[in-house]
Amino acid sequence: MRKFDIELTVGLFIIAGIICLGYLSIKLGRMEILGNKGYEVYALFSNSGGLKAGSSVMIAGVDVGRVRSITLEDYQARVVVNLSEGIKIQEDAIASIKTKGLIGEKFIEISPGGSDKIIGPGSRIRETQPPVDIEQLISKFVFGKVE
Amino acid sequence: MGRIILNAGIASFLFVFLFAVPVRAGEATEKIKQTTDKILSIISNPALKDPARAKEKKRLIREAVDERFDWEELSRRTLARHWLQRTPEEKKEFVVLFAQLLDRTYWSKVEDYSGEKVTYVGEQIDGDYGLVELKVLTSKNTEIPVFYKLKKKEGDWLVYDISVEGVSLVNNYRVQFNDIIGKSSYRDLVKKLKEKIEEKG
Repeated sequence: MRKFDIELTVGLFIIAGIICLGYLSIKLGRMEILGNKGYEVYALFSNSGGLKAGSSVMIAGVDVGRVRSITLEDYQARVVVNLSEGIKIQEDAIASIKTKGLIGEKFIEISPGGSDKIIGPGSRIRETQPPVDIEQLISKFVFGKVE
Repeated sequence: MGRIILNAGIASFLFVFLFAVPVRAGEATEKIKQTTDKILSIISNPALKDPARAKEKKRLIREAVDERFDWEELSRRTLARHWLQRTPEEKKEFVVLFAQLLDRTYWSKVEDYSGEKVTYVGEQIDGDYGLVELKVLTSKNTEIPVFYKLKKKEGDWLVYDISVEGVSLVNNYRVQFNDIIGKSSYRDLVKKLKEKIEEKG
């Protein structure tokens, strides 16, 4: 009886420990436990410049979603984004790929528009801005083209 | 630096350039060409070169631009969510101010035009939206990619945004206007715009 009690207690502690570990991993990894809350929209970028699946999507610096997937479509980057339920994106909102800090990770910033039409689930954010390639800009305006 | 690029690009947009090489011109591209050809002809019109007629010349160019640009759409997109909060009078006022701001800001670039070459790369039409891509070759031999974004309104293609080197005009002003309104107020933005317009004469 006693041995059984001890084993039961140990077992329960282990299970509790594993649950805590799991919770910690999920929280730290910022995964969504249920994964399918909110809705998806997509945008086409001429260059996704290092954006990854799992990258943040922000409005005014606030996390509103995550990048679900990035695929090549017609030589453009098709970025599918999962947005939290209550977030409304206007038809003329602009999605830009920016960098956290100067050399940090890439994320998508959505700047709200002024249209009264809202982009529905599965639809497209039409206005996009690829990341500005600083190196290219500098070289173009300092050195010009060699031709 | 961004502004310099934008300025160069915007200056170039007004002139489709005598040496523009047409590439299977689509509907939207045709419209852009029409406007720029019109402006070019005004500029190269010997009768209008007389400095006494400078005002008239400017007015004609402005009219040609007005035909192709959807100032209301541009205003809506730059004010963004603040547009929805404006009264009809405020909206009307803003549309005029914004057009004047762009006019004052970029007119000097227009006057500086010196024959930069433009190549039409192509266009994409998606329902009522059109994207015209062109490349401007500057005197320094750098190629600047310019995109015109157009929307079909009542059968005509009108410009609602221009992007130069991947930077959009609407986005540029949207961020700035949002900042000003956030820090002070919409009336303050209007005041600032009026000041800027005055400043540039």
